[in-house]
Amino acid sequence: MIQAAIAGLVSGGVYALLGVCVVLLYRMVGVLNLAQAAIGVFGMFVVLVCYENHWPLGLAVAIGLLTSAVLGGLLGGVMAHWFSEASLQVRSSVTIAFLISILTVGMWIFGSDPRPVPNLVGTGSLWVGGLVIPHLALVILGTALLLAGSISLLLQHTLLGVWLRALAERPTAAELLGVPAQALTVGVWAVAGAISCLAILLIAPSRSPEFPVLSLLVLPGMAAALLGLFKSFSLTILGGLGIGLIEGLASSLPAVAPYRQALWFLVMLAALLWIQRKEVWDAAR
Amino acid sequence: MLRASPWFLLALIALALLPLLLPSYWLFLLTSMLISSMVTLSVGLVSGMAGMISLGQLSFAGVGGWMVAYFNANNLPIPFVLQVLIGALVAVPLGIVIGLPALRVRGMHLAVVTFGFAAVADLFFTILNFPGGVMGKPVLRPDFLSHDRSYYWFCLFLFALLVLGVNALYRSRLGSAWLAVKHSERAAAAMGLNVAATKLWAFAMSAFIAGLSGGLLAGQVGLLSATNFSPTASLILFASAIMVGARYPAGAVLAGMMAWLVPEVLGRLHLSQNLGNLIFALGTIAALKAGGGVFEVAARQKKPTATPLFSSPATLAPTTHTPTDRVVLEVQNLCVAYGQVQALNKVSFSLKEGQVLGLVGPNGAGKSSLVDALSGFTPYQGRVQLEGRSLEGLNAAQRARAGLRRSFQQDRTITELSVQAYLEFSAGRALPKEELAWALEFAGLTALGLGLHSLNMGTRRRLEVAGILLSRPKVVLLDEPAAGLSSEESLQLARQIASIPARYGCAVILIEHDMEVVRAACSEVVVLDFGSLIEAGPTTRVLSSPRVAAAYLGEEVLA
Repeated sequence: MIQAAIAGLVSGGVYALLGVCVVLLYRMVGVLNLAQAAIGVFGMFVVLVCYENHWPLGLAVAIGLLTSAVLGGLLGGVMAHWFSEASLQVRSSVTIAFLISILTVGMWIFGSDPRPVPNLVGTGSLWVGGLVIPHLALVILGTALLLAGSISLLLQHTLLGVWLRALAERPTAAELLGVPAQALTVGVWAVAGAISCLAILLIAPSRSPEFPVLSLLVLPGMAAALLGLFKSFSLTILGGLGIGLIEGLASSLPAVAPYRQALWFLVMLAALLWIQRKEVWDAAR
Repeated sequence: MLRASPWFLLALIALALLPLLLPSYWLFLLTSMLISSMVTLSVGLVSGMAGMISLGQLSFAGVGGWMVAYFNANNLPIPFVLQVLIGALVAVPLGIVIGLPALRVRGMHLAVVTFGFAAVADLFFTILNFPGGVMGKPVLRPDFLSHDRSYYWFCLFLFALLVLGVNALYRSRLGSAWLAVKHSERAAAAMGLNVAATKLWAFAMSAFIAGLSGGLLAGQVGLLSATNFSPTASLILFASAIMVGARYPAGAVLAGMMAWLVPEVLGRLHLSQNLGNLIFALGTIAALKAGGGVFEVAARQKKPTATPLFSSPATLAPTTHTPTDRVVLEVQNLCVAYGQVQALNKVSFSLKEGQVLGLVGPNGAGKSSLVDALSGFTPYQGRVQLEGRSLEGLNAAQRARAGLRRSFQQDRTITELSVQAYLEFSAGRALPKEELAWALEFAGLTALGLGLHSLNMGTRRRLEVAGILLSRPKVVLLDEPAAGLSSEESLQLARQIASIPARYGCAVILIEHDMEVVRAACSEVVVLDFGSLIEAGPTTRVLSSPRVAAAYLGEEVLA
């Protein structure tokens, strides 16, 4: 039972990482990005192509991360340039168009033939008290915690963090005070892009490595972000891990096991309805 | 009431004749276009009309298709036409279930939920597989539909029925209700509308239309698979619906056609068909930038058609109505608290028949809280009675229907409607010409066919008041109706408000900052300050009272 739950940690950690990216963009630049995972998938496919051509894995990964960062930055630039005054709703709808574009271009360039997916971490595991904990789960967990910690430190203790917080709270006021809003927006998009590429690279070996399938991983990521109320990075990570644990547990029940990758939907629905339970009306007054 | 424009008939005849001229490949393509148009029609209904983003419409289609495949694979003795209909009906409860979160979850969050539904449905379709899919047992059409041409005509017939039906719906009260909910749920409820039911109807009907398309697709292609209904395909149809503006049935047809024509044309030009999706994506970005799809932008720029009225308005009584002693609205010990903040503290007053009662007080005195409490938008303690009937336990819509109507400080009118449609929606009934003429005069307008989007703010506000009065309420709460009007317009509005009891026999509570307006319209006033009632009585006496002056001047000095 516990062993089954632990098996869900890998997925959970990846949901957590993607959730952190979603929260990052939601908080800092006011957009709910449906294309978040797709940006990462694009970079991952670049890694696969490089790996196929026998480039060193480290170099391939670096190029992939960079690709996703550049792609994210580009989209952030479009957002900053044309939709800086638009509402959250409109900006987020634009990401639907981004998602379609990335899916189309990605399928166009990389085709739909299966490619070998490298294991970044290897398949080793750790024995703790009779339980098997895969190295991969530890790496993902570590990355997620490190990330949440450094983002929190950055926001609280550096000038860049103050700028970002100002931009998040009062974009126009921040810009008038000399905060380089456009550059920051592009930067946040780029960083989130690179992180999602890493997340997708880590989960790809255990999923079917198809462009559209992996791009939909943004949804459980959003479920995790929702559990963090689109605000708290640590709660988002806990939320993602929680969803992963539920999936892991479900895999030991034969009746639910095939549908375990739909369970995040129930978590998301429950969380949304609970959070929004008092939102009877659309506007405050 | 089914109305068909000549353009619709012309297009229908052309579409019906096409198969006689075209080879079978194009016939297949045309059938596909019709089926896709049904899906974009359903997107236009739920997202364009009712304003709820649904990214999972193809999954409803999948359910319709699944049912047809199921009947067929199990050789159930159900005629094909009925199978398609049952498939569509089975999608309806699912639509309502997916619509339920929409009662609390809005905007982009709802988009995520519906997209999540699409992903989950995809997972189920993939695992369960469509019946007959594995053993290769295709859906068989009955003899009279076995030819591709007759099947196309069958689809066209159903599609024409859908368009006529949807058009009639859009012109009906339900159509106005969808637009109202899209604009402002509060304003819709204040007009007596059941917001939850309105939203669920939209999801139910759009699921029906989408479900129908899925059944037809099963008949067209025979063997279905999950890829027919993938989340990505849902997304692309949604994007093309946004880009064109599928709220208009013609837009839905165009969007559905483009979904097939664009890749086809690109293919013939030896270009990658992938370009098509990119075009949709870029078109969607452009539409979002422009604030509407092609048809929406065109509708906004269309010159209004002026419908002349040959009726003279019902004349307004020139004298002010003297109040009687009968109490219409009794407020006792009303308290409203937001957390620790006491917004209203034991406010009691009564409104008499034929009275225009002014409610004044500095900013933050609790005037808006009072209106929100009375109209059922804010929970409160205390008692409110309308003509002796307790209002506690009634929600906002029920209060509006009971005869307590309110207006809003901000403009909450439904800009997509014409003047006449708005008035009739707000009144809750079809209006005779004299009453429409009166409303036009009240708002200072000359034509009923004008779209509200083309009117200025002041006119819209007066139209809002006129619409409320035409619903023949017992009590009207007007929340700063003169905000944003010039002083001349304000005084004119004040005189109109003063004449409301005589013309419509309802009592009025007028919340207003402009003392000139209050003096001109109200016989009595009550004054709120810091949530408590500090003065009440005849207008001239109360407004010259030192306590009132202090409450106001204090505020003026601070400001």
